[in-house]
Amino acid sequence: MRDHVLLFINGRRHEVRGAAVFAPLSSFLRYELEKTGTKVVCAEGDCGACAVLVGRATADGAIRYEPVTSCIAIVGQFDLAHVVTVEGLRRNGHPHAVPEAIVANHATQCGFCTPGFVVSLCGLLNEHPSPTEGDVRAALIGNLCRCTGYQSIVEAGTRVDHRNLRKLDELYPPPAMLEEMAVRAVDDVRVEDGGRFFFKPATVESAVAFRAQHPGCTILAGGTDVGVQVNKGTREMRDVLLLGALPGLRTIASGEDHLTVGAGATLTDLERATREGYPELYPMLTRHGSPLIRNAGTLAGNVANGSPIGDALPALYVLNAEIELARGATPSPGAPGERRGEGSPLTQRRINIHEFFTGYKRTVMTPEELITAIHIPRLGREEILRVYKVSKRRDLDISSFTAAVWLRRSGETIADVRIAYGGVGPNIVRLPRTEAMLRGQVIGEALFGRAGVVARTEITPISDVRGSTDYRLQLAENILLKFYFDLVSGANSAMVGAGQES
Amino acid sequence: MSVVGKAIPHESAAAHAAGQSLFIDDIPPARNELFVDVVGSPVAHGRLRRIDTDAARAVAGVVGVFDHSHIPGHNAIGPVVKDEHLLVETTADFLGDPVVLVAATSREALAAARRMVRIEMDELPPVFTIEQAIAKRQFLGPPRIIERGDVSAALRGAEFTLSGELQVGGQDHFYLESQAAIAYPQEGGAMVVHSSTQHPTEVQQTIAEVLGLPFNAVTVLCRRMGGGFGGKETQAAQPAAFAAMVARLTGRPARVVYSKDDDMRITGKRHPFMGRYRVAFTRAGLITGLSLELYSNGGCSTDLSLAVLERAMLHADNAYFIPHFRVIGQVCKTNLPSNTAFRGFGGPQGVVNIENVIEQIAMRLGIDALDVRERNLYGARSRGAGRLDSDSWLPTDNGDGNGDGWSNGTAREDDRVGALEGLTTPYGQIIGNNVLPDLIGRLRKEADYDWRRQEIAAFNARSRTQVKGLALTPVKFGISFTKQHMNQANALVNLYTDGTVLVTTGATEMGQGVYTRIRQLVADELGVSYDAVRIGTTDTSKNNNTSPSAASATTDLNGAAAVNACQALRARLAEFAAQQIFNDPAAGLAPSPSHVTFAQGEVFDARRPDRRLPFGDLVMQAHLHRVNLGERGFYATPGVDFNRDTGKGTPFLYYTNGAAAAEVLIDRFTGELTTTRVDLVMDAGVPLNPGIDRGQIVGGFVQGMGWVTTEELKYGPGGELLSHSPTTYKIPNIGDLPATFNVSFFGNPDCSVSLRRSKALGEPPLLLAISVWAAVKNAIAHVHPTGAAQLALPATPEEILTRLTGAPSPDLWSPEEPTPLPAQLRP
Repeated sequence: MRDHVLLFINGRRHEVRGAAVFAPLSSFLRYELEKTGTKVVCAEGDCGACAVLVGRATADGAIRYEPVTSCIAIVGQFDLAHVVTVEGLRRNGHPHAVPEAIVANHATQCGFCTPGFVVSLCGLLNEHPSPTEGDVRAALIGNLCRCTGYQSIVEAGTRVDHRNLRKLDELYPPPAMLEEMAVRAVDDVRVEDGGRFFFKPATVESAVAFRAQHPGCTILAGGTDVGVQVNKGTREMRDVLLLGALPGLRTIASGEDHLTVGAGATLTDLERATREGYPELYPMLTRHGSPLIRNAGTLAGNVANGSPIGDALPALYVLNAEIELARGATPSPGAPGERRGEGSPLTQRRINIHEFFTGYKRTVMTPEELITAIHIPRLGREEILRVYKVSKRRDLDISSFTAAVWLRRSGETIADVRIAYGGVGPNIVRLPRTEAMLRGQVIGEALFGRAGVVARTEITPISDVRGSTDYRLQLAENILLKFYFDLVSGANSAMVGAGQES
Repeated sequence: MSVVGKAIPHESAAAHAAGQSLFIDDIPPARNELFVDVVGSPVAHGRLRRIDTDAARAVAGVVGVFDHSHIPGHNAIGPVVKDEHLLVETTADFLGDPVVLVAATSREALAAARRMVRIEMDELPPVFTIEQAIAKRQFLGPPRIIERGDVSAALRGAEFTLSGELQVGGQDHFYLESQAAIAYPQEGGAMVVHSSTQHPTEVQQTIAEVLGLPFNAVTVLCRRMGGGFGGKETQAAQPAAFAAMVARLTGRPARVVYSKDDDMRITGKRHPFMGRYRVAFTRAGLITGLSLELYSNGGCSTDLSLAVLERAMLHADNAYFIPHFRVIGQVCKTNLPSNTAFRGFGGPQGVVNIENVIEQIAMRLGIDALDVRERNLYGARSRGAGRLDSDSWLPTDNGDGNGDGWSNGTAREDDRVGALEGLTTPYGQIIGNNVLPDLIGRLRKEADYDWRRQEIAAFNARSRTQVKGLALTPVKFGISFTKQHMNQANALVNLYTDGTVLVTTGATEMGQGVYTRIRQLVADELGVSYDAVRIGTTDTSKNNNTSPSAASATTDLNGAAAVNACQALRARLAEFAAQQIFNDPAAGLAPSPSHVTFAQGEVFDARRPDRRLPFGDLVMQAHLHRVNLGERGFYATPGVDFNRDTGKGTPFLYYTNGAAAAEVLIDRFTGELTTTRVDLVMDAGVPLNPGIDRGQIVGGFVQGMGWVTTEELKYGPGGELLSHSPTTYKIPNIGDLPATFNVSFFGNPDCSVSLRRSKALGEPPLLLAISVWAAVKNAIAHVHPTGAAQLALPATPEEILTRLTGAPSPDLWSPEEPTPLPAQLRP
């Protein structure tokens, strides 16, 4: 048991104890270490001014760096990580090629967003030294700039002199850090601060044990939603159970019938896994938050959070995904469907996502339970999936409306269909009457037009900042016709939105 | 070799990219420094009943909780009219109107204590919208009018008329650095304040008034801002005054840094506008008369609303000669934070109204909107301003086959050489150096406008799922403050004996590159290298009574003042050098200051260019001979004046022009919008720094794109801003940058009235984003013309889908009779 958080910042080793463990990393950097290059604007992960690079040990013995937002992640989440800030890119007086490209291409004006852009670009270039314009745009989705209009930043990103680009492994040789990361990875970390605990388990068993002792604890994976709530004063950070770093949970298993996504796998992990391995889900992931968010957030977190506008949820509904829950093996009368592994201290159960939610942000999870994995069935032959997200801004926006349509065709006939909508009620809704009228019918434009009219009657959306009732009803109607046109054209422009001609 | 005209990187670029530039909250806290924040009114309109701060005071680390009764000087503030309070005294005018200041030794204690403050109010009925304010006749200032000719007669005698209404939304500045200031108390009650402000003098004066100090006891400094865009022109004063007030009351340094959410909730924004028009025009699309009413939502106090309205009215003609013209303006008073300056300063709201009218005319006549624009341009033709018999100017079919009645060659050129009245604005300014007809013609060709319009029509006829639109809109933006006295600046230039130069002016750096440009100008004037010149932190103790960095005119004014100082210094040094250095009777050269040349860091007599002296050596020599090596330069823009009572005058030194063609692609099922291509030509005169200038153009355009598309201020029923952070308020991100975005300068060496023949660029490019909105309108018109007619701004996906699906529009203004003049304006 370790009583402190151990992390490296720009190559320097830090042991952190007490309240600082619970503080946002950005505050720790700015106010404790006086590294004020990292800026904070929104404190909700939506602008990227606070981006830092986080290096973590990979299974094959390297350090992989990814940019994340430091404002909504607490210091404890960076145990055994190497954090590189904008200041850390300049070593031994050598300027870095990325900042030089920013200067040469007039890609900074007021300068407040610039460190975040530099960090995100370094993250990209560390992996891809000669990115395309598309790569640069995709990597910078999570960084807002109000001055430049972005064109000069895109130019800077594509014109970095990669001969002078020093990789992070050159700036910070990994061996010494890797060794300590490996040695300390077996530690449970438990930090106390005035009666509250930060706990980072090394095993699922110690995780469920802590969960049982502290049933009200906040479970953090990437913390991309909890961090926002804490920063905005709608949630208090008391006991924290950090799941994100659990090695056993950060796996994605690609099986014959299912994709099994570990609760600690980030959305970036899932994005990589689905690009080839589940292409129907991939477009959805590219529009889920930004790279800065996907590098931290998890699918399990999106599910556990249970927001009706969670981008991943409609697809999980129409695919009949299952949520795998675990708790410590206690003598208490188990919850329905529980099974106990032979010799395992864990009691596990799998719940169909349709039974998982019981109300707005409420689920069947008991206070002792954790999500350990999500099982996503694969598409069978003649099965089609399309996922739609409508938002005010195409990228990095919370949905006004989401939809997923799963359809099995038999020739020109709809053998079976499932439709799920998000953003139209307190939970994701399925559309049983619409589905029923579609089943067994011959695919046609008029049919989907009529289905849209029925779909309107199955939902009662509210008006809020992201859209009015009328708008959501109109989308609910139109999206089925849009699906029809995708179906007949074979397009998968769904999550790509309106950006390309179809 | 001149450094002016070179694409030198922003003077702070390297520090920005290394994370080394200091913004207000990056300054390390001083010993004993306090963290300060506000607690505001829980209702949008109400009478203060009770403040309970006991619990807040009890929080460990809280040093003080203050309200209006603690203000040492005046509570009444305001940049033009003193109709604001620093802290609520009797009545709160908007939700979050600051009531109480909390000061604590840590950020944590501050956050905890803020939650403990209880404010009780007796609610009064609030007013939020322009329509509500009109109904209650709640206005700020009198109605204003700019008028020419006889609009009523023009409307009566017109071949065609149209009328309608346009709702134009506001916009949050979303500077990334929220409002911030740190105040350091000095001996003798004086105060030094670091403020993120576009207007240090305004902050200085506000603090002095609030603290009851003379102006000379308050010094305000601003090294840089993390963005301003107008939002820190007047409204940086309040947070700075809060910090200064706490510093004064506690004797300790005090820091105020708004969170983004609080900043968005309690500071003013771009004014929402509502416009009502009646337009008279001919079959060929020539506008013969326009009547326009503009109502702006000023929020709770005057701030700069009258000047913003004025600029909107002065830009309601945009680039078009309209013989019979009347615009009436009125600022509405509502219970929202006081709306304020924002890049364009009313200009965008004025211009979008006339561009909307032009799209409507094109739809009505079934002709291309660009043809309508070109026919109505200033200088596009001549005609009698007073005549209504429009046929008399209309050319007959000239046989060139395009059927538009216009020849493409000489006949039109002849028309263009017209009377000056075709170049005279409704307010009486004659437009000089008018490049727009040529500029638009060039863009029309370079952007393949006509071919693409055809392609788009074919695409729209074919596609069931998407619809495209294309529009080309111009801008003619007047440069100068419309308030005459603000068109002045001073600069201090100090030479040091190592040959380096330190310059300070009233210009503030918010990313726009004004420090860089002034450095370039000064280096050129003194013939030294760019690196030899440094711009000092903007500081009210060095430059007094300064104008804000605003109106696009910051370089024009402060740069000219610095140049004037340099010229005086150079003359003095030349005199000294001629007498003391280059005086060579043996060679037969009489002392001649006019031959003393300053170039590339050296000084020489042009008659003997082989004998050169480093600039630093000359300065040292001059110092040893007791020559004054500092100079204060001054500049006042000549010839500008405007009488707001008569609506006549010459408010602008010159106009910056440009045009953009934007193409959009819309998803017909969801209303989602993509701007796929933009071609933009800008008249920057002779650019001072093409790299920085291009950044202003692209940045301004994309910021304008946000205003016309995704940036939507949504309020709840109690006046609470629902879109108060980037999660809900969507400024453009990198995905919104058009895939094709061609920017070019229109070479224009003929703007002789401006600084080095350059033109100001801060605001004008923003107005070109109106092309994106017009393109959306054009796209919708392909599907649903009546829906297109109702398109509001911003064109969010929801707004677009609503218009595409033809939902009925709420209460269209009845167009039957010309609007009667408000009583105050009747003869």
